[in-house]
Amino acid sequence: MYIIIVGGGRLGYNLLKALLNEGHEVLLLEKDARICRTIIEEMGSVCYRGDGCEAAILDEVGTGRADMMVAVTGDDEDNLVACQVAKHKHNVPRTIARIRNPQNAALFKKLGIDVTVSTTDLILETIEREVPTHPLTQLMALDEKGLVIVDVKISPESATVGKTVKDLSLPKESKLALVIPNQGNAHVPAANTVLRAGDQIIAVTSPESKEALQIALRGV
Amino acid sequence: MEFKRILVPVVGTEADEEAMKLACRLAKRDKGKVWAVSIVAIKRTLPLDAEIDSEIQNAEDVLDRMERIAEEEDYEAETDVLQAREVGPAIIDEAVERGVDLILMGIKYKRRFGQFNLGNVVPYVLKNAPCPVILYQQ
Amino acid sequence: MGCGRVGARLASLLDEDGHEVTVLDNDTYSFRRLPSSFGGTALFGNGINEEALKKAGIEEADVFVALTQGDNRNVMSCQIAKHIFNVPRVMCRIYDPLREEMYSALGLETISPTKVFAQLLREKLEG
Repeated sequence: MYIIIVGGGRLGYNLLKALLNEGHEVLLLEKDARICRTIIEEMGSVCYRGDGCEAAILDEVGTGRADMMVAVTGDDEDNLVACQVAKHKHNVPRTIARIRNPQNAALFKKLGIDVTVSTTDLILETIEREVPTHPLTQLMALDEKGLVIVDVKISPESATVGKTVKDLSLPKESKLALVIPNQGNAHVPAANTVLRAGDQIIAVTSPESKEALQIALRGV
Repeated sequence: MEFKRILVPVVGTEADEEAMKLACRLAKRDKGKVWAVSIVAIKRTLPLDAEIDSEIQNAEDVLDRMERIAEEEDYEAETDVLQAREVGPAIIDEAVERGVDLILMGIKYKRRFGQFNLGNVVPYVLKNAPCPVILYQQ
Repeated sequence: MGCGRVGARLASLLDEDGHEVTVLDNDTYSFRRLPSSFGGTALFGNGINEEALKKAGIEEADVFVALTQGDNRNVMSCQIAKHIFNVPRVMCRIYDPLREEMYSALGLETISPTKVFAQLLREKLEG
């Protein structure tokens, strides 16, 4: 794959290194001549000096044949424009933008950016996952399908303990995928599977019905 | 000074031809080897392994000329076409790989924006060469 | 958005014409450019932030104009105005002619001072 990274900060630098190690053809665009020199001295001709938002520069580095553009500068507006130029002027199939302000995720999506990564959200997700009492954790978002994969824990207080799956009134976009009991093997739930305290349930749902799913599964 | 393995990066200028002659004479004295390499720089718009026939042909023509010059000097030289994103690093890689003990380059007096200018390649080679470098300016 | 020379001037002209004008800038020092007669609102805030735009009353605005020094900031704020807040008329200054062409093709109303001014000079010189 040919991947273009915009922004040679710490994130761009490490991304470049990692992607090169995976054997991809990678080029990093950076405005600052000094940063460019450092990177070239360390990794060879994998860095190009220029503004990643400028169509002319993107032309020069062959953005037209790039499979992916990753914009990771420190400014949301620059990442947005770099991705939009790549998408609309050079038809890059996949664009990924880093966002500083989580609020911008919706806007970027609306404007055609394929994936946004917000460090704030990532850290929040990790925190949620680390807090064991949290009843519902989002494990993964399937952006294109508008679905999320979540993990719901059944606690001893849950009103659904002892009930079967067919007795639950799940939101219609939700589907239970897996039950991981406290002890024993994980299994795919059937209509007559009985919920027990300590069960961990992996489910697919729409982001809007996360709450409803949690209530259906825990009875609160 | 003894030079047993000499690398001559060429693009086909007259200075290159003189550099090639000089390399042959130096090598002959020490029964050394001479490699002439011509580097085809591939733009980012193309994958690195793209085959640009016209440029490769041009590079081969230049190398043919270098071989003839070597013959005139009554010496034998090996030649190679290389493809790279940038010329400077390609020369250095080649020098390291072949373990040469001299890089001999012909350069032309150039002006850029009205001032004397060495370009990018020569300063890069001078800065990063693993061995002595001789520049021949015509 | 953007209280530079052009922004301040445009704001005071529109104010004189009797429109209700709010100027947004992320540096209060910029507001010195507004004449003392300016009857509109000058507001401190970042124009690529939805909250700041809301505070400036973007939900009721008929027109939004982005005039900061940063092409990308202008482009982003205009797209917020257009796509999130559905402002009926959105105008965007983009210095870089190539970027200007692209966003104009994407449906933003754009002006490239670089292009316009070069063209103007050429006409003056050749005409």
